[in-house]
Amino acid sequence: MTGAAPLLSVQRVTYRYPGAPGDALHDVSLEARAGEFHAVLGPNGSGKTTLVRVALGLLAPGTGTAELAGRAAAVWSRRDLARVVGVVAQREDNLFPQQVRETVLLGRYPHLSFWGAERAADRAAVTRALERCDAVALADRWIWTLSGGEYQRVRLARALAQEPSLLVLDEPTASLDVRHEMEMFELVRTLVDRHGLAVVMITHHVNLAARFADRVLLLADGRTAAQGAPGAVLSRETVERVFAWPVAIAPFDGRPQMIPLRQPKEST
Amino acid sequence: MMRWLGLAALVAVALLSAVVLGPAHVALGDLTSSEIVRSLRVPRALLALLVGGSLGVAGASLQALVRNPLADPFLLGLSGGAGLGAVLAIALHVAGPWALPLAAFAGALGAMALVYRLGLVGGAQLDPRVLLLAGVAVGAFSGAITTAIVSLAEAADLRNAFLWLWGGLSGASWDTVLVMAVYIPLPLIVLYAEARPLDLLALGEEPATHLGADVEPLKRRVYVAASMLTAAAVAVSGVIGFVGLIVPHITRLVWGHRHRALFPAAFFGGGALLLFADTAARVTVAPRELPVGIVTALVGVPLFAVLLRRWGAGGGGGRG
Amino acid sequence: MRRLLVASLLAIGCRPAADRPATPPVAHRIVSLAPSSTELLFALGAGDQVVGRTTWCRYPPAALLVADVGDGLNPNIEAIAARRPDLVVLYRSQLNETAATQLARLGIPAVTLAQDRLEDIAHAARELGRLTGRAGAGDSIGAAMEALLKTPAPAPIRRVAFVVWDNPPMVIGGGSYLDQLATLAGGTNIFHDLGAASATVSIETIVARNPDVILVLSDDAALPGYSTRREWRAIRAVRERRFIMLPADLFGRPSPSAPAAVAALRRALELDARR
Repeated sequence: MTGAAPLLSVQRVTYRYPGAPGDALHDVSLEARAGEFHAVLGPNGSGKTTLVRVALGLLAPGTGTAELAGRAAAVWSRRDLARVVGVVAQREDNLFPQQVRETVLLGRYPHLSFWGAERAADRAAVTRALERCDAVALADRWIWTLSGGEYQRVRLARALAQEPSLLVLDEPTASLDVRHEMEMFELVRTLVDRHGLAVVMITHHVNLAARFADRVLLLADGRTAAQGAPGAVLSRETVERVFAWPVAIAPFDGRPQMIPLRQPKEST
Repeated sequence: MMRWLGLAALVAVALLSAVVLGPAHVALGDLTSSEIVRSLRVPRALLALLVGGSLGVAGASLQALVRNPLADPFLLGLSGGAGLGAVLAIALHVAGPWALPLAAFAGALGAMALVYRLGLVGGAQLDPRVLLLAGVAVGAFSGAITTAIVSLAEAADLRNAFLWLWGGLSGASWDTVLVMAVYIPLPLIVLYAEARPLDLLALGEEPATHLGADVEPLKRRVYVAASMLTAAAVAVSGVIGFVGLIVPHITRLVWGHRHRALFPAAFFGGGALLLFADTAARVTVAPRELPVGIVTALVGVPLFAVLLRRWGAGGGGGRG
Repeated sequence: MRRLLVASLLAIGCRPAADRPATPPVAHRIVSLAPSSTELLFALGAGDQVVGRTTWCRYPPAALLVADVGDGLNPNIEAIAARRPDLVVLYRSQLNETAATQLARLGIPAVTLAQDRLEDIAHAARELGRLTGRAGAGDSIGAAMEALLKTPAPAPIRRVAFVVWDNPPMVIGGGSYLDQLATLAGGTNIFHDLGAASATVSIETIVARNPDVILVLSDDAALPGYSTRREWRAIRAVRERRFIMLPADLFGRPSPSAPAAVAALRRALELDARR
């Protein structure tokens, strides 16, 4: 698998938002291939979402290149790209009262012909996507009746309905409880292992990323603080420097786990 | 399927009653030969269908575009622009039977362009909130100029221009019907082509982009097409409120949010509503005539309330 | 000192509404706030006593030499006061209720006159005649108006409709001065049954009631714009181009020239009947 061309390839990109005093990204690179699970970590404002936007061609980097499936990101039409990359953004603001099956069906848009109606193949793809996300039982529910965790699974199913080769997830477990967090990470791991997807996930959850991801990119102030296998990246010195907080690193399941230490305030 | 048959029946009844009923008594047997029916009632009924339909579709698409269920085609400043155009035409004594509609149309397009330009200010890229604010501002501004012109003006004609602006189908003729029938298919087709992308837009601009929609061209096309429909409606019939606001909501209660079904339903629903309203406007206080905009409000709002209660008890709504 | 101030403020604020300044025995500086009263004042021979008029007061031509004080409805009190009038003639309307009170506060006498129908002209002529020291002229005009009103209406020779606007179609109803003129001239207003002065109707109602001729307030001979529109041509009178143009000076407002207006209209109706 590692010999295949990278599905996502960001090489030494620099990006500065118009009018900003400093670079949001500086000399950052990332490559994701099929069957790889990449986690992007870092404090707030370290450039994680900017990196994803540049990678997907939504922002043009000042220097460096961004390619998807071997073509420059800027060259892809939105529709063609949606057949290759499924994105679950941080937030969505759905105005429709919809049923789950309907909202997942929206993911078939890039595959539908301009005037044509949805076909049996599309409905089958929706069912498959729901199965992969363990959400078939939710298929006829109205989305406002879903819990946070259930809704996230549905959004993931919608992205899978696009039948992408690459999944990009922006904080998919934010505000989920531990059970749903674990379920999400297990689900993603299964998609990578069993179905050969490439996954790039932005997450705050350092420990779960360390346990589930193949490779980790740790950003700080728009720069690469460390990049590589979780064991190599998450050392105490690096984590303390990036997150500006004392931690202890303890291994679990062969992966480093970060334990924040208490920092009692000095009484004055 | 039943829904569509029901809608077709509704439209048929609406058309029939618009032709059969009226302040002047025309016996059923004389219907096909009556001058009143052929030259007045039939074109007026067809125009009501085309105008009501245009407003319904424009309303549905603008509500999707600005992501605001309270959007009405006239919220974006078009009525103000049309009024100003009409008043200027009268004040400058522009001659010709088409002077008023063309001037109103030009005024509406001017307002559309201005609001569009304002929507791009500061790189806003037609941000819905900016569009709405710009629309209200442009509408208020042109309304103020219009009122100033009228209050300073001499001719009583100008004060009567306000009556025109309140909306009415009395200018209906085979000529106006033809013009509308030739004009509206293009914007309608453009909007129908964008129906699926509009479904995606309901998730938000970023999710829509990720699902494959070209959001910037989408917003531009929908904005221009919806404004063109509204400008034409205002040009031939003044400002008829409530149709563009309420019809999309009523049709959503029955057909759901998918725009591929919603647009045709809103077209025929809007046409039927305006037909019934116009018939009521002509008949209830005969021989006098009510402004049709008042009737659309009186008919549309209770209808909406009834459907809302039924739907509220059954399905409910909300965001995910 | 403060008690005096408070007392005077109270006194001013508590002035009863009925306490209006009395009109002078003969008014020499009159501001007329309606075209029909301006015309009446000149007809009474009191034109020299008029020091202010509205922008719309254009008849007789001598009135144009009088100072323009703006609108007659919701008038500009300052502009009126600047003319130092000893009498203001107001048009009776809801919009002028506050104007009368404001003028009273400034100590300016005002009289409110209804000026919508022939009988109003009779009354206004007498009232203004008395106020300008020309009671004789006032009584004579009043008598002429009353005589006109008492004249038995001639047998109607034409069915007419006054169309004042086309989109939406507006017609003159039975409550209007023009309706009275039509009846006196031998025309039947097909919308006489509408009590209001004007009303919106459907074109098809006009078609169904089928007037012989359409009356239009217009100073030039050009046919109205809607006469070429397809939907209007369903009306027989429009198809046959049967229009009578009524000049604004004679027909535009209730006026002491009413007898002349009736005669002119009668002639025009007879002409149309012979076509």
